[in-house]
Amino acid sequence: MSNIAIRNLVKRYGAIQVLHGIDIDMQPGQFTVLVGPSGCGKSTTLRMIAGLESVSSGEIIIGDRVVNDLRPKDRGIAMVFQNYALYPAKTVYQNMAFSLKLARVPADEIDKRVRDVADILELHELLERKPGALSGGQRQRVAMGRAIVRNPEVFLFDEPLSNLDAKLRGQMRAEIKLLHQRLKNTIVYVTHDQVEAMTLADQIVVMRGGVIEQQGTPDEIFHDPANEFVAGFMGSPPMNIADAVVDKGGIRMGESVLACQIPSGVAEGDSLRFGMRPDDIHLCDGSVVPGVRSRVIVDLVEQLGTEKLVHFKLDGVPVIGKADGRAVIQAGDSVEMAFDTEQAFFFNPDNGGRIR
Amino acid sequence: MILKLLRQATPYWFLLPGLFILGTLLSVPLYKVIEYSLYDNVIIEPDPTFVGLQNYADMLGDSGYWSALFNTAVFTIGSVVGHLLVGTILAMLVNADIHPKARTVFRSLLILPWIFTAVVVALNWQLLLNPFGVVNYALQSIGLVSEPLDWLGDPDLAMWSLLIISTWRGYPFIMVSFLSGLQSIPSELYEAADIDGANFFHKFWHVTVPQLKPVIYGVALLDLIWTFQLFPLVWLTTGGGPGRSTEVLSTLTYRLAFVDFEFSRASTAAVTILGISAIFTMLYLINESRNRT
Repeated sequence: MSNIAIRNLVKRYGAIQVLHGIDIDMQPGQFTVLVGPSGCGKSTTLRMIAGLESVSSGEIIIGDRVVNDLRPKDRGIAMVFQNYALYPAKTVYQNMAFSLKLARVPADEIDKRVRDVADILELHELLERKPGALSGGQRQRVAMGRAIVRNPEVFLFDEPLSNLDAKLRGQMRAEIKLLHQRLKNTIVYVTHDQVEAMTLADQIVVMRGGVIEQQGTPDEIFHDPANEFVAGFMGSPPMNIADAVVDKGGIRMGESVLACQIPSGVAEGDSLRFGMRPDDIHLCDGSVVPGVRSRVIVDLVEQLGTEKLVHFKLDGVPVIGKADGRAVIQAGDSVEMAFDTEQAFFFNPDNGGRIR
Repeated sequence: MILKLLRQATPYWFLLPGLFILGTLLSVPLYKVIEYSLYDNVIIEPDPTFVGLQNYADMLGDSGYWSALFNTAVFTIGSVVGHLLVGTILAMLVNADIHPKARTVFRSLLILPWIFTAVVVALNWQLLLNPFGVVNYALQSIGLVSEPLDWLGDPDLAMWSLLIISTWRGYPFIMVSFLSGLQSIPSELYEAADIDGANFFHKFWHVTVPQLKPVIYGVALLDLIWTFQLFPLVWLTTGGGPGRSTEVLSTLTYRLAFVDFEFSRASTAAVTILGISAIFTMLYLINESRNRT
């Protein structure tokens, strides 16, 4: 187990700068997820930690060593690639044993380690197969096995579940989490899937355009986003965010006024961006629902099973709320929705920063 | 019923002209060569004598034939090994991560030997390897040899010189084939190998070679078939000489037919070339069908 510290890390490709001096601290045994849209620099950061990309400036420290100039094999890392990167001509056993063989580990020690890891990942029946004869999930497990067998200080995962179908993805997500609980290694995990980020991480680093928008625990990121980007990126369905103007005792969107607690620092007539998660907008179906009520016409209902997503417009602004899975509701209905405005977020319309 | 059959036969009617031309051009000469090999005094005499397999028996007792067969084996294997070695190294070099413009320049330059005809290649190398040519001049200038070497005229050097020329002429095919193979290897495999602690040679043996294997075998066999039958390069550089030191089956066949006018013996030699080429071709086709499945 090692800590990782990234100090003012910069990456340039010629004149194009893709990382603008980022700082991240990862504690020993911590599961850190780098998340963000395509091109945000998360994979580049991971590849720089791995030693697959050079560092333009700044420092990467693993344990107590600056590893900027160390070769990948000397950094004490193991990596699981998006497309698994298993050696096609080698069997599962040979794939897992390869790094140990190169490190001149004695044959009986190699055999013991490979079989131990095969037991952990339930791979023992596949050891003599080649990757071409494995399913996506099995390949994924072999890729993890190949990483674990090296007993590295740090595991790096580069979007490892993106090639799997939804069901298998959920299953493998749980396996990775269980594995982390068991091995307690430091893990850096890159994904663009915010559900993966929320479920796996001890620490989430949200990136955009080569800078860090926010880093913190999943709770902090979700319930206390630093800005409009983070608020909109994390959460599915995403947070409803719309232009609004501060009004007496609330905010006004078009002709509709929602009564709410206005943050200090803004005055009546000021423009801002108003955000509410769909979880905080509920159908009033007889039960006691907190919040300010408003009557709306339903545009669309999406049945998710335990709940329904209710799409409607509030003075022309599209909004998503939620209803119980058993609620009887359909498009065209006129219903009352309750806005729990105590959970509302306010953002600066100019820079997207949070107004508290 | 008849109409239906006629309709089903339609595509084959369109194939007929092509099949006819190809069949005539291929099968008639093939048949004729085999037929000639069973007669004596063909072409020259209006009424040649049927001798059965006598020509083959004579050929097997002829030391000239065996020496040509041996030279063909040396030339073919030497050339294919040379093509593979140089082609692989150059394919890896031009696949390296360098400036795209430089890469295009190198790729274009290195493919040049392939676009010259064999006659141009042969004449150029004759000039280069001439005792008073550039190669001898250069070797003398740097002190590697004290007096000019007769590269194509010395029996001890002629086959080596031929192999160098053949390698130079033939490597681009291997280079281009391997280059496309190299480009299809996912870079992630090399990155995984980097993390696993592999050096350049480990990566070559454990990633590049296994990934290129299907290409290597097919391309090597194709090269073997072509080189085995290669005629103009040998004929125009050494002419099979000095003496018989670079005589290969193709030059032997040509010499028997058009220098000695022994068309029966030439046909017999040609049939052996045909037979050996057919074996290589079968191997190639088997490999291709295995790759497809």
